[in-house]
Amino acid sequence: MFKLMGAVVLVAAGGAAGMLVARDYARRPVEIRSLISAVQMLETEIIYAATPLGEALERVACASDGIVAGFFREASRSLNSGDGATAGEAWEKALAGFYRHSSLTAGDSAILKNLGRALGRSGRTDQEKHLKLACEQLKREMASAEEAASKNTRMWNYLGFCGALAAVIILY
Amino acid sequence: MAAALSGRAYQHRPELGFINNISPVLPFKIRKIVPAVNSDILGRLEEIRLRALRPLALGLDTGDVFINEAGAVVADPEKAYLVSQEDVERCLGLVSGSSIYALEEEIKNGFITIPGGHRVGITGKTVLESGRVKTLKYFSGVNIRISREVIGSARPLLPKIIDSEGGTIRHTMIFSPPRCGKTTVLRDAVRMISDGIPELGLPGQAVGLVDERSEIAGCYCGIPQRDVGLRTDVLDGCPKAEGMTMLLRSMGPSVIATDEIGGQEDVRALEEVLNAGVRVIFTVHGSSLEELAARPALNYLFRLGVVECFVQLGRDKRAGVVKGIFDGRKFS
Repeated sequence: MFKLMGAVVLVAAGGAAGMLVARDYARRPVEIRSLISAVQMLETEIIYAATPLGEALERVACASDGIVAGFFREASRSLNSGDGATAGEAWEKALAGFYRHSSLTAGDSAILKNLGRALGRSGRTDQEKHLKLACEQLKREMASAEEAASKNTRMWNYLGFCGALAAVIILY
Repeated sequence: MAAALSGRAYQHRPELGFINNISPVLPFKIRKIVPAVNSDILGRLEEIRLRALRPLALGLDTGDVFINEAGAVVADPEKAYLVSQEDVERCLGLVSGSSIYALEEEIKNGFITIPGGHRVGITGKTVLESGRVKTLKYFSGVNIRISREVIGSARPLLPKIIDSEGGTIRHTMIFSPPRCGKTTVLRDAVRMISDGIPELGLPGQAVGLVDERSEIAGCYCGIPQRDVGLRTDVLDGCPKAEGMTMLLRSMGPSVIATDEIGGQEDVRALEEVLNAGVRVIFTVHGSSLEELAARPALNYLFRLGVVECFVQLGRDKRAGVVKGIFDGRKFS
């Protein structure tokens, strides 16, 4: 009886672990796509409407969803708090929180970090270059994230259960 | 220190209220230093100068002083707080709300107006395009110029410029060298003309104010931060010549006021206004009438013989002292 219960727990745990890894693979392209869309909105606000950065970030937050909205809202709140933080500092602080709860890789985070260092520090032409560069880099990351997701999501979903089942069989 | 930064800390000293507007744009280290400066010095403060890798300086009515980290005046610049490049960049980030791109035109002109109507001058490396300034980069200096209203500063000259029979004012030119209070006096004159002065027989007039450099009304996001009167319409950041014509066509003013007339274009627009039955009051840089007459554009204005009253300002312990009022008819 105990053996059976142990086997069930092992299979459930293995399956859940596999599903968690698979979920990260599946979520990453979705988050990057959402980020690309947000950066493009930010570009419109900055380049065409010359909206002050704090307000632009808030508007992007309102038009985005999920944790990307939270990231832009936090950056806007931190920038507008009046505690003397620059745009780069506000962005980096918000990014740290966002990164912890996202499925992004360190490479994705580095793209956003570089963008944050340039945000609001130059004229429109220069800002456009930085925003377009970030978009292009994110698009490249999305292509690789989609490829990785198609390869790995199903594999990890099965691998968790199958690995756990194999362990149960070996242990029996 | 935090308490000193709050609005409540200056309730008993309204003349120091500007610190509540200035503090949010100061980098954190300097934000702690300025409120610690002796309040008598703060009361005479005209400018806060941040120059990268040089001492923190305060511009007073009597000249510059250097300040150390504790907010005390020091005679030796070596002992003063050394402003870093980061301080300058951070200050500019705070002044612009980290939105340099939204203030390109202001940066091209070399200054940004902040809430309270205070002006922040900027220096750095200019980027040229077709020989004209496109923008600035590598910011190296910031000068925060404190804008102060001196209510009543135009009072001594108003009886001389009012045409009580016509119930309006005479065409008036206010002139002086820089830093003698032309803008302060013009602002107060606009306020009084707009509100009306019953004891001098002047009913309130609709005043159109062209504030090209945001100095007179100190507009922030288009809203005047200074009291420029109940009947004043402000065109903020608008070139003078275009602004005067726009106001004339659109707002039906009785009086048009503007600052720092000097170019041919300004004088031509002024001539149009003068011929439209609208009264004008404006300022000009210059220390004497002879000096003004030597400038081609102003010489033309003199020859038109339309300016009825010339007011000369000077600086005698304080700015805005009326040195002389001349009848314009004698110079035509």
